Amino acid sequence: MKPLKIEIQKSELRPDVSVWHFEGELDTASVEPINRNFNKLLEGKQLYTIAEMSKVTHISSSAVGELMGCRQVLTEHGGDLVIAGLNLDIKTKLNQMGAANIFKFHSNLRTALNAYTWDVEKKSENVWLSFPPELNFVPPVRQFVSRIARQKGYGQRDSFRVETIVDEACNNAVEHGAPDKSRDIEMFLKIDRAKLEIEVVNLSDPKKIDSLKAISKSILGTEEKKFERGRGLALIKMLSNDLAIDFSGKGTTVHVTKLREE
Amino acid sequence: MKHETPYVFKVKIPSDVDYIPPIRKFFAEILQIKSFDSKFSFRSEVIVDEICHNAVTYGSQSLDATVDLVCAVYPDRVEFQINDQGGSKENVQRLKSVMEQRDEEFEKQVEYFKSNKGLGLEIVRMLSAEFDLKIGKDNVTSIRVVRKREEE
Amino acid sequence: MESQIELEYEDIKGRTNAKKVKFIGDLDATNVETILEKICNLFTDGFINIVADFKRLRYVNSTGLGILLHFSKSAKEKGGSFKIANVNENVYEIIEIIGATSLLEIYDDVDEAVAALQ
Repeated sequence: MKPLKIEIQKSELRPDVSVWHFEGELDTASVEPINRNFNKLLEGKQLYTIAEMSKVTHISSSAVGELMGCRQVLTEHGGDLVIAGLNLDIKTKLNQMGAANIFKFHSNLRTALNAYTWDVEKKSENVWLSFPPELNFVPPVRQFVSRIARQKGYGQRDSFRVETIVDEACNNAVEHGAPDKSRDIEMFLKIDRAKLEIEVVNLSDPKKIDSLKAISKSILGTEEKKFERGRGLALIKMLSNDLAIDFSGKGTTVHVTKLREE
Repeated sequence: MKHETPYVFKVKIPSDVDYIPPIRKFFAEILQIKSFDSKFSFRSEVIVDEICHNAVTYGSQSLDATVDLVCAVYPDRVEFQINDQGGSKENVQRLKSVMEQRDEEFEKQVEYFKSNKGLGLEIVRMLSAEFDLKIGKDNVTSIRVVRKREEE
Repeated sequence: MESQIELEYEDIKGRTNAKKVKFIGDLDATNVETILEKICNLFTDGFINIVADFKRLRYVNSTGLGILLHFSKSAKEKGGSFKIANVNENVYEIIEIIGATSLLEIYDDVDEAVAALQ
């Protein structure tokens, strides 16, 4: 029998998160040390706990019950206890105990910390993509962003609108870009639980800059107009919450903000 | 290999498994656009999935860590290069031992399936014409994979 | 959040301890936890024989393969089985590459898999 070891670590980058590294067997004898350590946690007001269990070889129902009790107390105080790193056999056993209805399971500590950063701290995440300025690459790019939005929990409608925004912005970047196609198009995406910010940057065709500026000025203006040109930008404006276009330097930067609605 | 100008795609994503499905599908679609067949693009999708998963799992555990992936599409092949920001000594050692064990104990497949360690990179190796893993300064891990267009 | 995958369930006539399960979508690291929970629930409810229909399973990676092997092992431990049918060419190749074809019970179609239930 492998005796239980509990090592408690405060996450250096996330001081509100306490990581409990469990090693060995969690059984009836583990209840007391779990309880003791939990009380210290509460005294230190550490309300978010990750129970890292990659080195756990056995877990009994009494230990699970104790952890459930800890979780209940934490959630009552606005925190949580999640489980990370369990091997498949033990996870299966816990699922059979109904533990999946109580705890969130994460495949490893990394995933658990990422979930904390996203769900609890509500931090944003950044993606950068550069691709050659060809129209046929735009569909995969727009689907890439749409899938990210879905993956991060945005609804179908929001994801579809984002896809359209990216499509129009990238199409513009390709069509009005420098004819020698000397520079790739860059797309920046900043996403959090509340909004998406998309920036598409290209190297502009110097012959088209003045007309682009004129079109964007009329689209970004407040007057209602029928646009023979610039329909793509007009569509972006209608689908988003904020649109800004910058022509400084040699490039065009289209910056769009879309608030989450679903 | 022929030296032609490839189509180059560069992506930087957070070190988070959530981004892996969109990224693998992106590259699968790019390859189909460049006339690689569906089988090729599927296998490449698996390669991207596994190397990204590896980078997330064994790379830097800092919460703002990123994974950089470059894809160069040539008429006759595709090359992927992935860099993570440097894992802990423990994770890097684990990666090294997984790769070493895999070379030495190829027959013990069942054990590897059970532990699921190293399975991903083994699949990548089998699907690639070239596979190169380097662990550099500060434990930055770089993987380069080449997959050649198959004869029809 | 998860890659999209759905499971659809169907009873197997004459077999109270068996279930057909259609896997629809992609099986990867982002959704194995959900799938594990769902299949474990079936085992807990007494359905120790599972026939997994992979006709609409487009994609699987090493993490997904790992969970399939786990299901196979868990079912056997309970005196049942986890059989797979209608595997598409691409997915089959990945299973074959790592030599897992001998570790999983794979059938050409669902009827064959059902007939093989003991």
